[in-house]
Amino acid sequence: MSEGKVLKKPFAGIRVADFAWVGVGPTVSKYLADHGAEVIRIESSTYPEALRRVGPFVDDTPGMDNSGYYANFNSSKLGASVNLKHPRGPELVKRLLATCDVVTESFTPGTLERFGLGYETIRAIRPDVVMIAMPLYGQTGPWAGYSGYGHVLQAASGFNHLTGWEDGPPIGTGIAYTDFLVPHIAAVALIAALDHRRRTGQGQYIDFGQMEAAVHALGTAVLDWTANGHEQKRMGNRDPEAAPHGCYRCKDGRYLVIACFTEKHWEALKAALGRPEWCDMDRMRRRWQRLDEQKEIDRHLGYWIEDFTRMPPDSPFYTEEGVEAPPVRKFTTEEMMAHMQSFGVPCGIVQSAEDLQRDPQLAFRGHYWKLQHPVMGLRTYDGPSFRLSRTPAELTKAAPLLGEDNEYAWKTLAGLSDDEYTELLVEGAFE
Amino acid sequence: MPESPPVPLPHPAGPLAGYRVLDFADEKGQLCARLLGELGADVIKVEPPRDGDPTRQNGPFFRDEAAPNTSLYWWAMNAGKRSITCQLRLEAGRDLVRRLAAVSDIVIETGMPGTAAELGLDYPALSAVNPGVIVVSITNFGQAGPYKDMLATDIVGSAMGGHMYLNGDDERGPVRTLAPQAYAQANVQGAVGAMIALYARGVNDGGGQHVDVSMQEAVANALDNAQQTWDIRHINNRGPGTGRMVGGNPGPRYLYETADGWVTCLALGGLIGPSAGVAIDWLAATGEARDLDSLAWRTKLAALVPLEPKDRAYVEETLAAFCKTKPKESLVEQAQQRGFGWAPVFSPREVVESKHLKARDFWVRVRHEDIGESFIYPGPPFRLGLTPWAQRGRAPLVGEHNEQVYGELLGLDAAELRRLRMRMVV
Repeated sequence: MSEGKVLKKPFAGIRVADFAWVGVGPTVSKYLADHGAEVIRIESSTYPEALRRVGPFVDDTPGMDNSGYYANFNSSKLGASVNLKHPRGPELVKRLLATCDVVTESFTPGTLERFGLGYETIRAIRPDVVMIAMPLYGQTGPWAGYSGYGHVLQAASGFNHLTGWEDGPPIGTGIAYTDFLVPHIAAVALIAALDHRRRTGQGQYIDFGQMEAAVHALGTAVLDWTANGHEQKRMGNRDPEAAPHGCYRCKDGRYLVIACFTEKHWEALKAALGRPEWCDMDRMRRRWQRLDEQKEIDRHLGYWIEDFTRMPPDSPFYTEEGVEAPPVRKFTTEEMMAHMQSFGVPCGIVQSAEDLQRDPQLAFRGHYWKLQHPVMGLRTYDGPSFRLSRTPAELTKAAPLLGEDNEYAWKTLAGLSDDEYTELLVEGAFE
Repeated sequence: MPESPPVPLPHPAGPLAGYRVLDFADEKGQLCARLLGELGADVIKVEPPRDGDPTRQNGPFFRDEAAPNTSLYWWAMNAGKRSITCQLRLEAGRDLVRRLAAVSDIVIETGMPGTAAELGLDYPALSAVNPGVIVVSITNFGQAGPYKDMLATDIVGSAMGGHMYLNGDDERGPVRTLAPQAYAQANVQGAVGAMIALYARGVNDGGGQHVDVSMQEAVANALDNAQQTWDIRHINNRGPGTGRMVGGNPGPRYLYETADGWVTCLALGGLIGPSAGVAIDWLAATGEARDLDSLAWRTKLAALVPLEPKDRAYVEETLAAFCKTKPKESLVEQAQQRGFGWAPVFSPREVVESKHLKARDFWVRVRHEDIGESFIYPGPPFRLGLTPWAQRGRAPLVGEHNEQVYGELLGLDAAELRRLRMRMVV
């Protein structure tokens, strides 16, 4: 177990047939691919993966192999294509599946069964297969056949209700949120099943309903209802436990969030502000009092932060500090965050995607990977949020072109001869 | 169910049965540990003596009465774990931890970087007593780097990770989700890291490793396509949340008010796209399609070309008027019958009352024999056919399993335990 010894990548030797599409499925298999599994995306140009048709596209030119949306979730994977409606399509897939350890899919229940590719069939071909099906609502129940995307599932699973202004509509998170939450939970289940298989040789089927996984991220909202009969509701940036807890505009237009949960945080904030009179008032003394004084605190903090931050130096409104009035120390937003943090105030900047590309911490951690794609060029990919000290993730290649690895999948793995392959290709079996 | 079910409930059929997890975590790692327990692992929550873990003070509380065992946060995140107390500030306590780590597989901790090392309980120290141990450290920004010492709570994670920027309006700025999502992301992604390390141990030399998880990065991995949109188009995706922005292009409104709440739907509920005709027929059946029920509009909406802003506004208004008078669940049902992926906006109560989840027998009733009641908890987040998930019972009381754990695992007898208690080690 010497540290220097080269270790096998965790999933080396595991082959995954990945029928799952859009956000959830590809994120699950990306974990496996980035840690050594051979993941083959199985797609069709006759019914293309939704994300291949949605931008951002390089040069704003839509194209099957040009979507950054698709690319990011499909690093380190191979691409095969097959038309399941071709008379030999299902048979070809079965030949491929015989060589696979894991099958992932996220179609509406019954879709693969219609092509004779249900779990029972696959298990007959490959008895130790681990198969995970990940539709929105699971395999059974009145909504099993319902379609949708993460953008609407966040509404059905409670996130919209909990997001937005107190007096405003349930706007949700601005993104297809559950697509970026539930795949991690699915990956836990899948790897647990793989670990069981590693020890016992037994495969199994996993019925993963995205809504059921999402409910586990609702914090205390479920129990607050079932045990207390209290319905939590969106409250802007406030928190029922902390005051101040909010988002404050800096002079350059960016925002700083501040959260004081403990007396220590509050004392730190007072010190960072230079102990202005208002924060030593009697009605600010205890946390439960401050919860009632949020509006007042926010008003003071809002002024203070806007006053003590400055426009970027290249702004036309920028005036040299101390020119007109007595010298006042003005901070950039970054300096303001550092100032508050140096006193022990939990705070941070509301960072945009652009900010994240320049974030020194993410750069230090090497969060983003740059991978060369034959059509899209050198592009940025997300790496996992964790660093494994001995078997770290490696994003081995950019996303596959549609059907890029067909010869490998259908000849080497499924065992087609050159002639058969060419014949089927001409017939459109791989479209 | 027996009057006093054991806490936690045994779960020998889980895929992780036989593994042991030591949980030192705060909000960033308790759900992670709980999920491993629900897959069968023996999860031991390690708390400071007397008052127990600080998160026992997190509200809301059962019947709004704050006490060490009434935190609903504690109930939700620590259900089914065992609890021991141990004073890490005393060498005798740290010694107990090292002995426990020697018989554990995974240790989850969320201390500020360097804290575990100061206590002599970091990965190098623990791997010296157990080379197979996996230490999962879930921190705000990771173990090293310029921000490693920065303090963060959930909203700070959401802000620094880029999530908050994606929502909110120009007037009032960015807005967060009340249920803490930066914490949720750190937990579930940390669990993936733990599982990969566990699998890696099995296929390699049996050696553990250190899993260094960053909450900021976990959030940065949950930004839809914002990262790619900046990379490719140099546009920042952002709110106001009532629409869907994809690849830097603001999409149509996706949220509509109904007679009894709200519904969500993409692609104007189906009114744009190849099946637009079906959607127009649906509105036309009650005479609410307005001008859309015409050849010109039908052709335009089915054509898959982006709509002019004024046309889009007209379609949005038509759909809004249609939704306004109807109950949300019947709207969703009718839309789904026509192949459109609508969903209702559910409150936590409506999620619990959802007929779909009830039909799937999702909810689990958990007995709290200490207060003589039982409550509904969320059920299986995944259904493994052979090695099922299981809810493991209520959350533990402070140090509820001291005798059991220290006795069975470390062989301490009652007298030794009493001595440790008197020295305030446990």
